[in-house]
Amino acid sequence: MITTVGPGTAPGTYSATNTVTDAGLKGEERTDTSEQSSTDLLSAADIPWNLVVWNDPVNLMSYVSYVFQSYFGYSEAKSNKLMLEVHKKGRSIVAYGGKEQVEQHAVAMHGYGLWATVEKANSSGDGQGRKGGARG
Amino acid sequence: MAHVAKAFKYGLKGITGYLEPAERELLRGLLDDVISMLEPQLSSNEDPLTAMIGLDMNVKEPSDRALLRLLPNVMKSDDAASLEFRQLTERSLREGKIGALRAAAMGLDRNELVLTPEEAKLWSMALNDVRLVLAERLDIRDEADADHVHAMQDWSQAEDVESYLALVYNFTTWLQESLVQAMMASMDRKP
Repeated sequence: MITTVGPGTAPGTYSATNTVTDAGLKGEERTDTSEQSSTDLLSAADIPWNLVVWNDPVNLMSYVSYVFQSYFGYSEAKSNKLMLEVHKKGRSIVAYGGKEQVEQHAVAMHGYGLWATVEKANSSGDGQGRKGGARG
Repeated sequence: MAHVAKAFKYGLKGITGYLEPAERELLRGLLDDVISMLEPQLSSNEDPLTAMIGLDMNVKEPSDRALLRLLPNVMKSDDAASLEFRQLTERSLREGKIGALRAAAMGLDRNELVLTPEEAKLWSMALNDVRLVLAERLDIRDEADADHVHAMQDWSQAEDVESYLALVYNFTTWLQESLVQAMMASMDRKP
């Protein structure tokens, strides 16, 4: 932004241009600062939690997909995709949300006999973050 | 014992299956075994109020691997938090599982099985828990173990406890797979 507004502009507009540039810079700085502080202010309760389903050699692929469809209401395609991720990668984030919400999902998964755990988002360092996502 | 059960299927009557008396006896025994594993140990000094609202402050992480597989820790690397969660939830989880296992056992009073969608769901959960327990007893830890067990298909090969368990495991696997396929077919045909 600064490089496009050079000193070669017409003399009458020079100071005005400088003012705009300063304002732009300050604006950017302000944005950065506010993002920083809002991150600091996030409490533990606001950090999303992931529901992770783990692979095991017993549960049938069809059954795992059925559970994702019937419990979460996911489409057959999405359920199969998540099931295959569990099968091939050993684990998949199948839902996320508040801690109590994913804990409730975990108990439901245990009811079905799936091996599920909860973890803070990004705590596993596998970079999946929120991409595993789920319907609210 | 040669099994002559018919696979579950979805048709006009809903989800139906057929089991021979010996197969029903076998399944009833398996369901009862898992029920008795899951029935909470009653302790004499238990606070009746906490029991009434489903809390169990005396609960511990199960030492039996099969039971731990049925009632897993909710966090991978936080035993204290997992135990705290277990105190709040394990009792009702056990009760839910026992409910499904009992529902399946109750349906075993005749050869012909006709299941409502809800009964089919309870059956699939019950069969899954039976298979999880059998798999622990058979020491199935990975896909290779599973393939090894799966290769046991001939009942005339059943010469020891392990091969017998493997055949029983394969029978319950086959039954659950056919049930899930029938359930999927019934879901597909819903408007």
